[in-house]
Amino acid sequence: MSAAALPTVSVLHSEWIKIRSSRSILASLLAVFATTAGITVLTAAAIGTSQPGALGEDRLFGAFFGINFGQIAAVAFGATAFAGEFRNGALRVSLTAVPNRTRLYLSKAAAVAGLAFVVGQITGLVTFVAGQALMGEYALSLGDPGTVRAVFGSGAYLTLIALLSAGLTALVRSGTLVMSLLIPFLLIVPFVVGQVADGAGRFMPDRAGQAVMRLEVQGTLGPWSGLAVTALWALVSLAAGWLAVRRRDA
Amino acid sequence: MNRIEIRELTKDHGTQRVVDHLTFDVLPGRVTGFLGPNGAGKSTTLRLLLGLDRPTAGAATIGGNRFTDLDRPLHRVGALLDPQAAPAGRRARDHLLALAVSNGIPPARVDRVLEQAGIASVARRRIGTFSLGMRQRLGIAAALLGDPGVLLLDEPTNGLDPEGIIWIRELMRGLAAEGRTVFVSSHLMAESAAFVDHLVVLGRGRLLADTSMEEFISARSARRVRLRTSEPDRMGAALAREGFELVAADEGHWTIEGIRAERIGALAAREGIPVLELADERASLEQAYLDLTAERAQFSATTA
Repeated sequence: MSAAALPTVSVLHSEWIKIRSSRSILASLLAVFATTAGITVLTAAAIGTSQPGALGEDRLFGAFFGINFGQIAAVAFGATAFAGEFRNGALRVSLTAVPNRTRLYLSKAAAVAGLAFVVGQITGLVTFVAGQALMGEYALSLGDPGTVRAVFGSGAYLTLIALLSAGLTALVRSGTLVMSLLIPFLLIVPFVVGQVADGAGRFMPDRAGQAVMRLEVQGTLGPWSGLAVTALWALVSLAAGWLAVRRRDA
Repeated sequence: MNRIEIRELTKDHGTQRVVDHLTFDVLPGRVTGFLGPNGAGKSTTLRLLLGLDRPTAGAATIGGNRFTDLDRPLHRVGALLDPQAAPAGRRARDHLLALAVSNGIPPARVDRVLEQAGIASVARRRIGTFSLGMRQRLGIAAALLGDPGVLLLDEPTNGLDPEGIIWIRELMRGLAAEGRTVFVSSHLMAESAAFVDHLVVLGRGRLLADTSMEEFISARSARRVRLRTSEPDRMGAALAREGFELVAADEGHWTIEGIRAERIGALAAREGIPVLELADERASLEQAYLDLTAERAQFSATTA
């Protein structure tokens, strides 16, 4: 991969225009914030003061209760942002303007990552602060141990989930397919694997990365090593998508 | 610098050979028609030229460069491939803006090409609401964005109304007159005859002809004259003396085989026979094309 294939400002700008001018992509990005913060706040308002740890055994992770749903929006964001190129040969039009596939792909991934990261950070901060404001005596504050890491980590986690979804979409060339695989996976696997600390479950992209929002370390993966495992999933997915886009006839 | 060079270009899809050792050039300053029936390999050739598909063998270059090596290619090459490829959920102007910005083209140019393509009034509508004709115009607007020296247009008249067809015809002729390379594919011969200077004809992935429109038709027109006269008897007698036969055709017209109009004109003047109409009969592009493909079909049948 030569320097000639790196994203340029103009191609990044172009990818930003594509995202902001599509209602479905924008809606899923906004849903990342709305579901994570909204569900956390509503749940905290309803049961937050009932007993300690009402939103989860791990009180810090409980502060991000809504991320279980927000990550689904992150999957949708990554998938819809990439899926447009694989519908009706739209990629051909994009390649007539940016024929270097690596540059186009990396620019698109960078635009998705950048937007997901910014929205993710805002989401993490608002979710924590607004949610905890409704927890009464059981509230955590930003000064408590691990909270800043968890706030940053929640945004990073959402970004990585969006990239995982984006790479898979490029690989299978269908956003619908990726969403119909990843979303049930994220919803069902935690129930099947449960809270068992050991086993392969803890290396799954969601379980591993969520460690960054936990107060207690579960098993062998700490907050940062857990996030790194999710980053590795995202990287492998993006690499697979990149190889597919480079190799296939458009 | 705007010359397209196709050399021994070959593309297999599985076991099927879609493009078969194609070699030809497309020159600037004229409209080159890329003709052949559906499935002849025209679109595949254009995709290979744009680096969208990888050739099995051979090469296709524009001004000596592979398209994929061009930086900001919209300034060099404008392409219309499939009008349905434009993203349905996006507004027309945003679609063009995203393309323009990627190549450093100012937004003012987007409004210019929307105007030029006659779709400025619907620029803020989502592409999904567009008719095929409007999408076709949007695709042509996209091709014109970078004011390129080379235009590749795949079936640009598809879905256009008669007014639109006249518009695209004039547009292509104008672009060629400015010295640009205009390479336009079509499977409709009758329609192409109105705007094509040069022809590249494809059949089953192979090059069947690469010639000027004029030569292509002359070579396939029988020497035959069609005329109307108020004194067919005298004309018939005069022709018989020269060894030609006047044959009755439809509605008072007559035809004479194996002769040119200038000879008949001179003969009629000498004999003092009034001539009301006189013309060499020329094959239409469609007839010439069908003759050519029939020849080839016979050829391949006998050699098979």
